[in-house]
Amino acid sequence: MQESILIEKGKNGDRKALSELVKLHENTVYNFAFKICRDKDKAENTMQETFLSMLKSLHTFDGNSKLSTWLYRIVVNHCLMLARKSGNNEFVEPENEDELYDNKYFSDSRMLPDKIAENNELRVILDKSISKLSPEYRAVFLLRDVEELSTEETAKVTGLSVPAVKSRLHRARAFLRNEISEALKK
Amino acid sequence: MNFAKIDCHSVMKHICESLDEGLNSEKCKEIKKHLDECEGCQNYFDSVEKTIEFYKQYEIKLPEECHKKLMVYLNLED
Repeated sequence: MQESILIEKGKNGDRKALSELVKLHENTVYNFAFKICRDKDKAENTMQETFLSMLKSLHTFDGNSKLSTWLYRIVVNHCLMLARKSGNNEFVEPENEDELYDNKYFSDSRMLPDKIAENNELRVILDKSISKLSPEYRAVFLLRDVEELSTEETAKVTGLSVPAVKSRLHRARAFLRNEISEALKK
Repeated sequence: MNFAKIDCHSVMKHICESLDEGLNSEKCKEIKKHLDECEGCQNYFDSVEKTIEFYKQYEIKLPEECHKKLMVYLNLED
């Protein structure tokens, strides 16, 4: 059944339609929550809260954006709230472009591996690298580059302006690239 | 994306899009000229693309148990 029909039925309290909507999006929501939180328990908790929020406020969904975009926004807000609660002030906001684009990174001719398949060492590096990044930067990078939302959609989900999304994306990419490259040298 | 086949044009497009510049703007032409000649930049941008690809490939599977708990939590179990 088409998603728009499921949404309409869901708004009228049709449990089967609501259940279908959850099943359609649970994998995406769980994966995205994990990618931001980098923790399976937090990802599960975020997924539960996201869908609970969807059930409570589906009647306000106007269909002007995709349901998935709407869900991404709930996940981002929940993860940012968890990060603030954690009181971790160690996150990096990569704003120093001289440092980010230091010449040493361009003289490094080492090639990165092609795939991460079955490469646990690389997975650990990916987790560590993105966990250093402030959640606001993480959200922009993941939405735009990994989930492949447009710049405009990413701006809508994060509440940032389009230029702010672009500059954060650029810096987040450089930061992660540098972290991974440096970690692989060790 | 096949990284072995990545070429300067796709890298350029990527950079110039993020700069909000058309491919034929003066700035982009200068960047292209530099990129054509600079191995350091080519490797750098290749590694940025790979970084993005790593995070794309990194998916985890929703455990069946989590799915069941979710449906109970939402009071939507069959």
